[in-house]
Amino acid sequence: MNASFEEKSVWVQLIGTVVGLGAYFVVAGLLLRQGVTELVAFVPLFAASVILLVVVIVAGIVVAALTARPEGRDERDRLIGWRAESNSSWLLAVGVFAAITAMLFGVGNVWIANLLLLSLFLSESFGFALRIIYYRRGL
Amino acid sequence: MAAPETGVPKVVIENQIRALRFAHREMTQQQVADRVGVSRQTVNAIEGGKYSPSLEVAFRIARVFDRPIEEVFQCIVGPG
Repeated sequence: MNASFEEKSVWVQLIGTVVGLGAYFVVAGLLLRQGVTELVAFVPLFAASVILLVVVIVAGIVVAALTARPEGRDERDRLIGWRAESNSSWLLAVGVFAAITAMLFGVGNVWIANLLLLSLFLSESFGFALRIIYYRRGL
Repeated sequence: MAAPETGVPKVVIENQIRALRFAHREMTQQQVADRVGVSRQTVNAIEGGKYSPSLEVAFRIARVFDRPIEEVFQCIVGPG
């Protein structure tokens, strides 16, 4: 793969986020379907998914460092990061407004917490995907 | 659907980096990158027209080849 260390680290973050938080949402979805509405029941699951996310990212960064020379971020990396963030942060904003609206209608905490986490997950994943697109196709 | 006419001319930045690298003892993209302070992939993106560098990086690239900036980068202005 003819990619810089920075681009490879974005791939690693995308994979780590999708694997770690994706696993959380699969299991959390099953719990919600079974009628589990205690927020405390989701804490160990969330902790495990964060540990999985960190392990995948650390392992991936080590592999990326072995296969590409870490050179630090240059102006193109920074511009790609800013543009991707600017085009993906609306997902988090939509989630926050949806959560506030849900609060007004008395929706349970477990749904609001998962809605906020889902919007963060979608925003971050979309941001990483956009960065990869900008690296591959150009700005 | 056609893009709306804004009246602002479209600008395309072209460059001669590839030709200049070969004129300078077949300098590699990595060598240019090291002297400019960016990654090799960024030099590759600039050379391929996928990324327009900042003025600072453009001047640094011109200095690597010891040429005025307008010999390295050309601005092609098209219709709006």
